[in-house]
Amino acid sequence: MTLPHNPNDLDAWELPRPGARTRLPRTPSDNGHVALTRLGVVVGGSLSKGLVVKLDREVAIEEMAVGRYVVVHGDNKRFFCMVNDVVLNATNPAIQGDPPDIREDNFLRAVYSGVVAYGTINVAPMLVIDEEDGKPRPVKSIPSHFTEVYNADEGDVNAVFGAEDQAHFNVGRPLELEQTQINLDLRRLTERSVGVFGKSGTGKSFLTRVLLAGVIARGQAVSLIFDMHNDYGWEITSENGSKVKGLKQLFPAKISICTLDAESSRRRTAKYDFEVQLGYDEIEPEDIAMLRGTMSLSDAMIDAAYTLSKRWGTNWVWRLLQGRSEDIDEIVEHTNIMGGTLAGLQRRLERFQRWEFLVQHSSGDTINQIINKLDQGISVVLEFGRYGSSLEAYILVANYLSRRIHESYVERVEKALGDQGMEPPQLLITIEEAHKFLDPLIARQTIFGTIAREMRKYKVTLLIVDQRPSGIDEEVMSQIGTRVTALLDNERDINAVLNGISGAGNLREVLARLDTKQQAIIMGHAVPMPVVIKTRAYDEAFYAAMLDRPVSTDEARRTLGNSGKERRIR
Amino acid sequence: MVNGYLEDLIVGRVLRSSTTGFDCGTHSTRLDDRHSFGAFVEAPIANRDDVYAIGLIYAVRVDDDPLVSELVRAETVEDNVLRDQRENRLIPVEISVINIGWRNTERTFPGLPPRPPMSLADVTACDRLVVSHFTSKHDFFRLVLNAAEVPSDDLLAAALHYASARAYEPDERETFMIDSGRKLVRLLSHDLKRLAHLLELIRP
Repeated sequence: MTLPHNPNDLDAWELPRPGARTRLPRTPSDNGHVALTRLGVVVGGSLSKGLVVKLDREVAIEEMAVGRYVVVHGDNKRFFCMVNDVVLNATNPAIQGDPPDIREDNFLRAVYSGVVAYGTINVAPMLVIDEEDGKPRPVKSIPSHFTEVYNADEGDVNAVFGAEDQAHFNVGRPLELEQTQINLDLRRLTERSVGVFGKSGTGKSFLTRVLLAGVIARGQAVSLIFDMHNDYGWEITSENGSKVKGLKQLFPAKISICTLDAESSRRRTAKYDFEVQLGYDEIEPEDIAMLRGTMSLSDAMIDAAYTLSKRWGTNWVWRLLQGRSEDIDEIVEHTNIMGGTLAGLQRRLERFQRWEFLVQHSSGDTINQIINKLDQGISVVLEFGRYGSSLEAYILVANYLSRRIHESYVERVEKALGDQGMEPPQLLITIEEAHKFLDPLIARQTIFGTIAREMRKYKVTLLIVDQRPSGIDEEVMSQIGTRVTALLDNERDINAVLNGISGAGNLREVLARLDTKQQAIIMGHAVPMPVVIKTRAYDEAFYAAMLDRPVSTDEARRTLGNSGKERRIR
Repeated sequence: MVNGYLEDLIVGRVLRSSTTGFDCGTHSTRLDDRHSFGAFVEAPIANRDDVYAIGLIYAVRVDDDPLVSELVRAETVEDNVLRDQRENRLIPVEISVINIGWRNTERTFPGLPPRPPMSLADVTACDRLVVSHFTSKHDFFRLVLNAAEVPSDDLLAAALHYASARAYEPDERETFMIDSGRKLVRLLSHDLKRLAHLLELIRP
């Protein structure tokens, strides 16, 4: 620009026009799509408490949402951060006492907004990406003052969560980033226990079904699913009344359904492979001890169960339920069990007689049948039918089967002596209402507490689905590798889920403000950083994606059904 | 020196000056929009003809003389006497200017000029392009707002309205005023009552 000495010579003048601001830098993302939008600049904060970002006045505060990703573009690093609070601020607090009347006054609205009254966001640095190698790393520093902050684009998200492949499974997309996806590392997901939490009605079962579908589709583990409400195996009616496919319909060759209630399965036309019957003679005092809370069993009653087992052998439950007077007299006379205690235990165990899956002697070898399926890479869904409404039945059966399958796994893993070819496949045991199994009072004695604590040592991990994580033993919670959490609004539950998570304080607001449906936060072992996702819909597109993978010859043969004859598929 | 163009722009000649401002004089018959309160004017600084002090007119005084004093006391004054007094007698008009910036042939600068203009230097109304460029940044606001000897709020409001009307296209004026308002909000956020008053004054 040249200002004329002679004001007549005006041609050379090049003047800035009012309102013509310097254009915000907009950098093309990796896919060439221009998506970066500047949100503001860093004005304060710390590594421990997160960064404070003053929003540019053009940014609509209403559009800022907790859980959203932003990227702070430092000189040599990009800091990947999550919004965990949105704040209204003012340079002069007095304006709160005497706010300007900006109703229908666009001029005053334009000059005040974003200047004397402005918005800030608190963002938690989650990862840092070095510009040199592009690899995400834990955050150990923070960007300097006035570093620019942009919304995260597809390229940023992909740099952190990687692409979908055999070991990575798409579980949804980050908030407000429609074109990208969050891919869970399934190997890491299954090698430690997983928790799916959320208050009632937040879609835990759908979320669990998506996770299980990923694990099964990618062959990363087999699962034994204790299906309390018939949510996983066969066709399910969703809350809006539509029918959705069960896992068996998605993966006919990779899922086997067994049932405790054949009549219910038939009524629902669920194609089950075998019926599970447990013998009274197979119930051990340890199985009864698990029911302490749900059946109001006293310590004396538990002790009595051990004594009866020792005295009467494997048939102790059956004999107690028969309640022959000579048997009762003999016990009262020759042991230190009080008559009242024995009568109380008998009364409580009489509930067993209403459960048709319990027979005096089991005819089949349920445990071996299940283990055989698992060894073939086939996941097993155990439907409870009408017994799903009986928590005692659920706990008894889940504990009974899990304990014996775990014993088998321990034995086989130890025999294998590190020979991976001999080891059984990685097993993920899925249980619902987990706080009933993992209550602090009993978690140390139960098989599920043991499995959670052992981590991947014996190739068995848990997928626990629960709405009251605060009811789960703290030590067990600390061993849960990946936590997938839908909306929780109870303070104790939120604390329980966030306990042990780095930077948990920053996630508290995010967790309490998730949508009631189809939103979840994933934290822990299977993701490089906590991430809020809109979960993938379990719909036709999902079914298609599950099938859109190369099918092995063996799979195809089984899927087609060969009626005992080999089809020539090469 | 004086040509047709400058005839149109000239405001007066410097009577006295300092780096903070200057007074200039002109004849009463020449008073027009160029001499308005809040108008942007410029004058070459001492011994340089390529550097100009840029200022705002903050006071215009029409002085009296013995005859005027006598006439105002008269019971009746005939029209021809009044016209003679106004048009033929040399009634001095003094215009006070506060310096708010300066310019050379390349750029404009907010702040006080390096030297004051010399006596009798031509004072001219700033060209619209000078005003436009100078007001595209708002750094001179602080100087006006902090000037003790001038009615700063009214002067700044008048200057902004003058600049808006003279230097910007109609479709640019609202944006100019909003940008100016935002700068004022930043500068006066500690004094909300003064800010509210000033924003009322500059409302487009």
